[in-house]
Amino acid sequence: MKQTRRTFIATGAAATAALGMPTILRAQPSEYVIGASLPLTGPFATAGQLVAPAFTLAEKLINDEGGIGGTPIRFVTEDSGYIPQNALANYQRALATEGDALVAYFGDSTGFMKLVAPELTGDQARLMGSTSFASELANPATNPYQYLAGPSYQDQFDILLQNIKDAGGSNVAFIFSNTEFGRDPIEHGKMRAEELGIEVVLEESTKPQGADIPTHVTKLAQSGAEYAILQGYVTGVWPQLIGGARQFGLPTQFMGTFWGMEKLIADRVTAEAGPFLDGYQGVMPYRYFYDREDAPRYQLFAEAAKEMFAGTPLENYMSTWTLQTMCALEIAIKALRDTVEGGNEPTPDNLAAALSEITDWDTGGFFGGPVTMADNKIGTGRVYQYSTESGLFTPTSDWFTV
Amino acid sequence: MITGDLKATYAADERVLNNSYKQTFVLAMAALCALMPFIANDYIILVASQMGIMLIAVVGVNVVIGYTGLLSLGHAAFMAIGAYSIPILHRLMESIGLPDGIMPFLAIPGAIAISAIIGIIVGLPSLRVKGLYLAVATLSANFIIIFLIELEAFAPWTGGLVGLNTPDPNILGWQLDTQREMFALIAALAFITILAIQNLFRTRVGRAFIAIRERDYSAEILGISLFRYKLMSFAISAACCGLAGALFAYFYARILPEQFELALSLQLVAALIVGGMGRTMGPVFGVMVIVMVPEVLKFTFGMVAGGAAEVVQLRAPVQEIIFGLLIIFFLMFEPLGINQLVDRGIRALNRWPFARG
Repeated sequence: MKQTRRTFIATGAAATAALGMPTILRAQPSEYVIGASLPLTGPFATAGQLVAPAFTLAEKLINDEGGIGGTPIRFVTEDSGYIPQNALANYQRALATEGDALVAYFGDSTGFMKLVAPELTGDQARLMGSTSFASELANPATNPYQYLAGPSYQDQFDILLQNIKDAGGSNVAFIFSNTEFGRDPIEHGKMRAEELGIEVVLEESTKPQGADIPTHVTKLAQSGAEYAILQGYVTGVWPQLIGGARQFGLPTQFMGTFWGMEKLIADRVTAEAGPFLDGYQGVMPYRYFYDREDAPRYQLFAEAAKEMFAGTPLENYMSTWTLQTMCALEIAIKALRDTVEGGNEPTPDNLAAALSEITDWDTGGFFGGPVTMADNKIGTGRVYQYSTESGLFTPTSDWFTV
Repeated sequence: MITGDLKATYAADERVLNNSYKQTFVLAMAALCALMPFIANDYIILVASQMGIMLIAVVGVNVVIGYTGLLSLGHAAFMAIGAYSIPILHRLMESIGLPDGIMPFLAIPGAIAISAIIGIIVGLPSLRVKGLYLAVATLSANFIIIFLIELEAFAPWTGGLVGLNTPDPNILGWQLDTQREMFALIAALAFITILAIQNLFRTRVGRAFIAIRERDYSAEILGISLFRYKLMSFAISAACCGLAGALFAYFYARILPEQFELALSLQLVAALIVGGMGRTMGPVFGVMVIVMVPEVLKFTFGMVAGGAAEVVQLRAPVQEIIFGLLIIFFLMFEPLGINQLVDRGIRALNRWPFARG
């Protein structure tokens, strides 16, 4: 072939491309992958099925915004059936199939997070958020790659106890399911109550499902508690306890933590059993989805949801569980963007460093104001009260940061 | 019974691998297991290790259900005992200053022995009740043991509801701190367990178990002590599950009480029924179906349909349904388990082209 200026340039360009390609590819992968295990079957299938569309929404929004420094992201989800070993297998499968492109993972249970934590070393490590607010996970010394998308259960107890103190309360009962989830903040809560001068008049452990309501209500009545904090329940037990107490004529003010604060459940209880949840309070790390006046991010979600989920329940309302997932994903994306835009490779260590450096971050409305990642958690939340008439949880306190 | 398989000497008839199919299968499996740590990726190693652990446990369940005919729904408890024994024994040995390198040599037999003793206690009702009644009694034992593990009073030892971090085994200075290294140990012990149990049923004890399964009072009239052999069967069975539990504890970095609940007991029995009760290879085929097939389904569906959330939302329940149908299909098509299907296949091969099946 005759060498002309044109062919010379073309050959040169091709050679440069061929030689330079590997470096370019390495620095700029074609996409970043975030894996997730969700309980799409099994005991928490309802929650999993409700949360799954959030991934589609997040993928679209984040990629519309230009992905991570121009590189698109892709979510890979898999069912775990809410079994920690299955979620671990899902994680390993994602590592094997996606390799270095997998930059973060979303776990679906405290059990999985604990099971996987010691495995997160070397090339097995990835940044990891989850549905869990377990206090044990918020420890950068032992779990540098894992984070909570909000306050730990201990923080949530702190917020509630502070709220009780501010309202002039003098005693409280702790009612909790006999599970790890239920027991998580109890010891800490007792210490905190003592510091605040609030007497813990009852510590009552119940079954997580099918609890013996009359016995627990009788004990609560005997304790004379002004406030009762419920911990470790999702759909069952807590509404029955409150219903039982109201039938008994108890004036106790009931309070819940994150998993007992879902409007869909409160609405269903009200529709099926009457308005006894009126006045129920609890701590929520985030704004509710309907409170989006000062939350530009929520407005964006709402617009996208209207379009993407038209005709489904997600069209107008995003559950607290979905918000938690969205927040966990936003945190991962924030750490990724900070790392990549800072000119670093998104390695697990760089991402963990970026995570711990998140300071005064404007989340676009998830939380009341700018938040800071301390000890791999965001210890912020406020107290809401449910009204059966409006079917809404409305804030009764300012934002607390603990 | 595999026919068309000529044996010319008694020695040939007495061999464990008494035909060329068995020899090929076992050698191929052994070669595969030996190669796996060098060629397989972490995910395959994880699934293979899970299969190995389950296999040892199902072999144990086979002793009591398949060979002795005593229905037990509580074997997850023995795995729990084995698993929890490991960190507890390690702590005890640390406190008396034993070197790390010899701990597994004491901890694994220790876990097996503790499980066997608990197995004898749990097996006591088998002396009075049979069938579904025994199933309920062993089921209760499962609940009691998990309850005790979760009890606050024992939490300093068992970790209570929160679970317990487990140590990595250190074999004479070789720290098995990766799943790959653990797989080598699991595979080796799985082979040894199958071989040991296979040989057990060529002995007086094993034949006594089979006699009890066929008709317990006839066995007693023939001079077999039901008291002794039923409890021995439970002890051996629990010992296998204890070994599986010990490996479970070494393999995973953490153990949680909820991992050993009823669901696991049912999974063990399901694997045995699908694979073939009272057959050496039954547990092997059963574990392949119960542990590997859901992963294969996830992988295949994932490859075909992708991992996008809206797809997974639909395909996750479909995968479960297919898995359920598959088990029903196996049970309907061959109630004696996959082992029987394989036997039929081998028979057909042996007689080909003269007869089928």
